[in-house]
Amino acid sequence: MRPARILAAASVALVTALVAAGCSSSGTTTTQTGKPDTSATVNVGLVLEPTDLDIRTTAGIALDQVLIDNVYQGLVGRTSTNKIVDVLAKSHTISSDALTYTFTLNSGVRFDDGAALKASDVVWSLEQVKKNASTYQNAADLASVSSITAPDAKTITITLSKPDSNLLWALSGRAGLVLEQAATNDLKTTANGTGPYTLASWKQGDNIRLSRFSDYWGVKAKVKGIVFKYYTSPSAAINAVISGDVDVQTAVDGTLTSQLTGVSGISLKSGKTTDKYTLAFNNAKAPFTDIRVRKAIREAIDNKAIIKALGGAGVTQGGPIPALDPGYRDLSSVDSYDPTDAKKLLKAAGKTNLTLHLTYANFYPASIGDLLTSQLKKVGITLVVKQTDFTTWINNVLVGKNYDLSIVDHAESHDFGNWANPAYYFNYDNKKVQTLYAESLAATDPKVVDQKLAEAAKLVAEDAPADWLYTATTLTAVHDDITGFPTSSTSARLDLAKLAKS
Amino acid sequence: MARFVLSRLVLLLLGLLVASALIFFTLRLLSGDVAQVIAGTQGTPAQIAAIRQNLGLDRPLIVQYGSWLGGIAHGDLGTSLVTGSSVTSQLTQKLTVTLPLAGLSLVIGLVLGIPLGVLSALKRRSFSGTAISVVAQAFAAVPAVWGGMILIAVFAVAIRIFPTQGYPSDGWAEPGQALKSLLLPALTIGVIEGAVILRFTRSATLGAVSEDYVRTAAAKGMTRTRAVITHGLPNVMLSVVSVLGVQLAALLVGAVLVEQLFALPGVGRMLVSDVGVRDLTKVQGELLALTGLVLVLGFLVDSIHRAVDPRLREPGE
Amino acid sequence: MSSSAKAGAPRRRTWFTELLRRPAGVAAACWILLLLVSAIVSSFWTPLDPFDTDPYSAWKTPSLQHLFGTDGIGRDVFSYVFAATRTTVIVAILAGLLASAVGIGLSALGSLTARWIRESTAVLIDILIAFPTILIAMLLASILGGSLGVVIAAVGIGFGVNIARVSRSEIRRVSRTDYVLAARASGVGPGGVLVRHLLPNVAPTFVVQLSLAMASSILAEAGLSYLGYGASASTASWGRLLNDLQVYIAIHPGSVLWPGLAITLTVLAFNLLGDALREASDPRLRSSGPSDASAVRTSPPAATVSGELRVTDDVSTRGEPS
Repeated sequence: MRPARILAAASVALVTALVAAGCSSSGTTTTQTGKPDTSATVNVGLVLEPTDLDIRTTAGIALDQVLIDNVYQGLVGRTSTNKIVDVLAKSHTISSDALTYTFTLNSGVRFDDGAALKASDVVWSLEQVKKNASTYQNAADLASVSSITAPDAKTITITLSKPDSNLLWALSGRAGLVLEQAATNDLKTTANGTGPYTLASWKQGDNIRLSRFSDYWGVKAKVKGIVFKYYTSPSAAINAVISGDVDVQTAVDGTLTSQLTGVSGISLKSGKTTDKYTLAFNNAKAPFTDIRVRKAIREAIDNKAIIKALGGAGVTQGGPIPALDPGYRDLSSVDSYDPTDAKKLLKAAGKTNLTLHLTYANFYPASIGDLLTSQLKKVGITLVVKQTDFTTWINNVLVGKNYDLSIVDHAESHDFGNWANPAYYFNYDNKKVQTLYAESLAATDPKVVDQKLAEAAKLVAEDAPADWLYTATTLTAVHDDITGFPTSSTSARLDLAKLAKS
Repeated sequence: MARFVLSRLVLLLLGLLVASALIFFTLRLLSGDVAQVIAGTQGTPAQIAAIRQNLGLDRPLIVQYGSWLGGIAHGDLGTSLVTGSSVTSQLTQKLTVTLPLAGLSLVIGLVLGIPLGVLSALKRRSFSGTAISVVAQAFAAVPAVWGGMILIAVFAVAIRIFPTQGYPSDGWAEPGQALKSLLLPALTIGVIEGAVILRFTRSATLGAVSEDYVRTAAAKGMTRTRAVITHGLPNVMLSVVSVLGVQLAALLVGAVLVEQLFALPGVGRMLVSDVGVRDLTKVQGELLALTGLVLVLGFLVDSIHRAVDPRLREPGE
Repeated sequence: MSSSAKAGAPRRRTWFTELLRRPAGVAAACWILLLLVSAIVSSFWTPLDPFDTDPYSAWKTPSLQHLFGTDGIGRDVFSYVFAATRTTVIVAILAGLLASAVGIGLSALGSLTARWIRESTAVLIDILIAFPTILIAMLLASILGGSLGVVIAAVGIGFGVNIARVSRSEIRRVSRTDYVLAARASGVGPGGVLVRHLLPNVAPTFVVQLSLAMASSILAEAGLSYLGYGASASTASWGRLLNDLQVYIAIHPGSVLWPGLAITLTVLAFNLLGDALREASDPRLRSSGPSDASAVRTSPPAATVSGELRVTDDVSTRGEPS
């Protein structure tokens, strides 16, 4: 979980209509006839700016979004729909006992400062992560790794102490990034990676500029540069794409999409995310120790109405695993909206007049709290909402675990482990779930992994330790002369290697 | 005069010192922890302790305050706890938005307020004079945020002439674009401030109308209006200048709200977001810079006013 | 008027009748009265539940059922604006009281105590006046989190300093008069002098300032709630409604009309009341006709763009180091 962003949503029907309108109004789109302009600079609108650029120690998905894939790369990477692909590794093999991973490196790879990638850089990078477990982000992801070696200049061997089906996923994220051992640049303000772009400048509070890396080892970028501009206000963001200040706007607010109606040359594309807006219950605290209360709250919440209020783009999920992740099953029928039954459950639990406190960070819309207050009121629960700044939320909820209810966008993919971690702020402790999760990690067959996770997710959903309010659908507004812009998971990663402007 | 400036200068320096102490020590009472923010949601206690030591947050408060003051003396407001970049350079960059915004607002306010104020005073018995005064009274009560929203609604929906939000990335390298982006925000503050300046000018002009020298001039055959303009206006202007210091302060602070509404990358917006991430050194630098500006402007305006207004000279001068 | 008013000094009655002679003052007083009544009524009854959401009837245009229409999550805007009068009244009264307390405290400290305390208080007031209310509020909000308490405290402190500056000179003037000197000579302590002689004399100035402080607090509440440092979700507030609606300004521009209008009219009412009170309470202004007098002596209102302090003392006394 990371500082998340203002959510985005819109009705699918509307999206389709707009896409059609965008195409028909401009006749033949320039993308079909135009040739990529290799001297073009593309302006991309984003929401949340990173606090600094240190990819090693600074938390925040905003940093992954801009720098991973584009500037920093790992042995493996992931697609926008969460499939693992080789990047710096030309290929990889996994031994049959799933304890040895062998990677063959691509040749001709260079860092931004001109130095050639050496196998020792890879070994050093991964060892640094293990060595600095207390300060490096996601360092725990490599806990199962026992040794990293380079038997020759083109090969990396990673040995595990126990099988870990999440290892490749981990290597495709922060923990697997490859940096140059000899470099001495300040990671907070500069970057020295192997990706198709180099970091050109960062103007804090406004934009980050990338430019084409001319010595890139793979297919070189089709645009000269990218300017990421940050718009924290959803209306400013949509105005920026309409006025042409940006060529692409990610995370368009679903309630504002009608502003794009009648604007020619812009299409709205909808994509999946792993942004799970989760209403967590403090499971160790009364009255949440009573499953009837937890279920009653889930049944009192009309998830579809919430999605409607947020402009329609979001999907009900009913359980902890989103559609893009292994183990996903549609669990939305578990404890679905049923205020009458909710009242019955509360009566049975003897909690007919309940007052609960909801704490969440102030960058999420106030309307979610307003909606929940009014929905819970109908079953006799008084909800007292407090929106705090993110720091206070971290201190009180995440670290202090001093809360009743909390809303967070658990944006990360493959984060089911939170439900198997009794020390996490959910205070959810279910041995069966923990066993199943451990089995899923130890499994070597992806099918078994999926099975085990699905089974665990179902248990969690039926236990009602939280309500999965909705999983966001992300909307991207794209000018018609832009191609190669990903539309799914854009808040987590934004691989722009294929981006072109004509 | 020199004695006056000297005593005001002492007051100014004292003011800056008191302001810095108030800001610094009040901020240190924060319940949150910047090290926790940097470490993120998965930070361990050891990680946080390391960050704290790295940033010097483990030193005694008075030592931290001392080193901050020492830096300020050299024009160095320290480095951001979160980004590690220089606070002074960031502030300077953001001031290139906030200062022109405040300046432009002031110009709009003066251009609207002074002539209309004089006019409404001279024509106070006619409909137009009363109307101006009533409208000014109403405008002075408009919350800036709402005023700005109405402007956005008109210009974003009805007439698409101005960008309604945002600012060019290259700033003043694109002077036309930058100016265009600042126009609506400046209009928001300018019109409201103009209403205030108008009411000042009006009461000062009315004061001048009843002064002896204007009456004498009128008695000598000048028209009343001319008498006021030739003899009264200089005094009216002086009265208006005397309140400008405080009005400039109001303008700078109004910028905080308006920058937020119009998504302008200025000091105000930076302050709002830095309070959110508890970047202590930046927040204290920004607060000190804003209050410092208010104090310095107040000092300058008072000194200038004193220098040019004969009524305020001490008998010995 | 009640018997207590009759029992009071005749000065006070003329004071009140003077106020009634001014149409702007009467209109302002009526609006404020209406606000008070709304605040009381809305505590018990609103046409619809102001917090009841229904996403399926979002953005309804004004109708008999929804006088001001509905917002993006289907709340009845009229009920919400109506319920928010309570917040406004509470903020205005508490901020006014705090400002008075701070103002009286500081000005007493700056006029009745030993010379060195007096002088340092004067310097302190001059310094504190440069601290804009909104910055005080942000400072407090970053420590305590956003709440109406923060707004009240910030306006109370910020405007209290302003009141202190305006009334200090008034208190010093009165404290040099013969009857105060006589009272002191006969052994009345500083506290007794303050309560018996000084406060009644500076009361008119205070009442005017109080009215302006309330106007300021309403603007400050709106601004701070807009920035997210003010009212919490469970409190209906005009500023918060503005914040909720501002995103939709390009799609539903009509919706921000109501909360904005409510704020503007209320601030206007407090400003006008302040002006009218100033004129009514000042014998120098009373002698000539109301319109002329107001024209000569009226200072601009006390609240600015940001709920910031505006210069409220007389134009002619500015720049005089006191």
